[in-house]
Amino acid sequence: MSRPVSRAAIVSAIVKKDFVEFSRDKLYIFLSLLGMIFFVLIFWFVPDTVDETITLGMTHGGDLGALVAQFEAGAEGSAEGLALEVFDSPEQMQGVIDGSLELWRADEGDARVIRDKEAGDDKPKDSHRVGVQIGIAFPEGFLIDTATGTRTTVKVYADAAVPPEIQTAMKSFVREIAYGITDNVLPVTEPAQENIILGEDRAGDQVSIREKMRPMISIMILMVEVFSLASLISGEVLNRTVVAVLATPAKIGDFLAAKTIYGTVLALAQAFIVLLAIGAFTAENWFALLVILVIASVMFTGIAMAVGAAGKDFMGTLFYAMAFVLPLMIPAFALLLPGTASAWVRVLPTYGLIQMLNGVTAYGRGIDEYLPQLGISVAWLVAIYVAGLFTLKRKVESL
Amino acid sequence: MTESIATAAAATAAIEVDGITYSYGDLQAVKGISFQVAPGEILGFLGPNGAGKSTTIKVLTGQLSPKSGSARILGLDIARDDPETQAQIGVCFEEKNLYLNMSGEENLRFYASLFGIKDADVAGALSRVGLADRAKDRVRTYSKGMRQRMMISRSFINKPKILFLDEPTDGLDPVSSAGIRSTIKEEADRGAAVLLTTHDMFEADELSDRVAFLNDGKIVALDTPENLKLKYGTRAVKVRLRDGDGVREEVLPLDGGESSARLAELAASPELLTIHTEEATLADIFIQLTGRGLEG
Repeated sequence: MSRPVSRAAIVSAIVKKDFVEFSRDKLYIFLSLLGMIFFVLIFWFVPDTVDETITLGMTHGGDLGALVAQFEAGAEGSAEGLALEVFDSPEQMQGVIDGSLELWRADEGDARVIRDKEAGDDKPKDSHRVGVQIGIAFPEGFLIDTATGTRTTVKVYADAAVPPEIQTAMKSFVREIAYGITDNVLPVTEPAQENIILGEDRAGDQVSIREKMRPMISIMILMVEVFSLASLISGEVLNRTVVAVLATPAKIGDFLAAKTIYGTVLALAQAFIVLLAIGAFTAENWFALLVILVIASVMFTGIAMAVGAAGKDFMGTLFYAMAFVLPLMIPAFALLLPGTASAWVRVLPTYGLIQMLNGVTAYGRGIDEYLPQLGISVAWLVAIYVAGLFTLKRKVESL
Repeated sequence: MTESIATAAAATAAIEVDGITYSYGDLQAVKGISFQVAPGEILGFLGPNGAGKSTTIKVLTGQLSPKSGSARILGLDIARDDPETQAQIGVCFEEKNLYLNMSGEENLRFYASLFGIKDADVAGALSRVGLADRAKDRVRTYSKGMRQRMMISRSFINKPKILFLDEPTDGLDPVSSAGIRSTIKEEADRGAAVLLTTHDMFEADELSDRVAFLNDGKIVALDTPENLKLKYGTRAVKVRLRDGDGVREEVLPLDGGESSARLAELAASPELLTIHTEEATLADIFIQLTGRGLEG
């Protein structure tokens, strides 16, 4: 007769077996490696710079030379990054804005070329392309017409992607010029202005898309892990190997504990490697990042348990994994898009995690600055993990 | 037998079942069955599909909880779900629930580790079922018969005192089946109490010390194969005689005096070819008791 076996030995044996099974499954090894390499490559391919310069195009009949010179001088000294490009005709400016023509500026000096790609013009050497998002076409005689009170029309061309706020600002800009030319001053005392930036002033140091991608990449990696663990669990359920395991001294609690350890370690290891490869860890944030990853890994392990209990085959498992995980990716996508996330996004279980991940990796903040998000994430973790555990337990008991 | 085995089973039963029932929803699969199995005894559970054989094994191995009644394994109530009891049990399931991406050797080592056995004789276990040369191959590459032999090997890995074997020779060729039966007998000789479910009457007859006929969730007869045949079978002699260019058969019942004179007459006939005793099979008896066949 064998000696009584400890619960730890049983759990350890099941975890070891799970890793052996994982290592033998070429599909999941392939998916995991592919996912990790793919996301790391994507991360490093995305530009790390933020172009804060808004280039304004302009055409005029020759009577606004002094104004243009004044504007250019002001733009050069501005830290806000406003540049001016004067075009020969409104049509040329329109072509550059809509992309049918290309504006290239020499890397050194003031030389520039307007390239018509369709006409077969060569790409200029030692030059860089300048994008123009918005342009103002002042008509010929604008200065005299405005000064004499003759109504005239100024055309503002804007790329479709230019936010309406910028377009409105350009209209105001034109109006201000008109006021200036006619010497009409508003009958008010212009108030002094003091700009106060709440929080960290990141003017000139914006967070790039690459940095904002880190939370999304973490969630993507965890999604692959959910599918992998769920498939392993559904295999145990469908092949009824778990029934054979439970006909030994192993109890259902041992089985569930082993799956929790295996799933968490697998998710944590993959997320850790990927975040390391995309330069997320620093000497200051490693502990905070590990705490966040542990919470995320256990949360996604709970999801994988529920998915594994529900999946009846490869496609079924894939479907349930997607159905559960895709909504959880929305906060990560919302981070990449400008604007504030809708209220309903804030109630998703991963919202707090994403906020913490972003704050810690992109803004160098500490976990202590995110205590409410941490509390909510832990609450979600408990709820999801318990639900996954209960679902899988019920499924195994029904076999 | 063997009255002695039946008496021993009751006295020092390794498995003791008293009036257990089990239902799947409205369907009552097991309707209050009782029996005992002594150490070293093989009890054959014989019945058609749906008779309640596998459900009874699931209850006794702790996979299902009985709705009523009680069962004791090695003197301990199964309701206690004691790991010490589980450690003395070996189960060969009807479904081939093996880890397909692991080798035969890895499968056995894993199960041995669940029993806390660090130095399991895996090579010996595989050798017993003729899989020594495939030990390193993944189970996915095994044939159906090889997987079945692997199942048997796994159920023996902890040298159990109780063996539950659910259709252990299912899908095996005659030679492999004979080998597995021999191995089961060795386990019983070692002292293991074996509960064998099968719908193979020849297997039950060959292996079992006693046989329980299950029909519709109830045990309709429980005794040694010999006693069942004596009790329910008809003793007769089949005589084959040359009849011109053909052969003619005559069956004479042995119970009743009127056959004696006719048998003596035929035995003296120059046309006599063969005389054989006729014995009822377990399948015949089952049909006689239940009105249905074992394959149903």
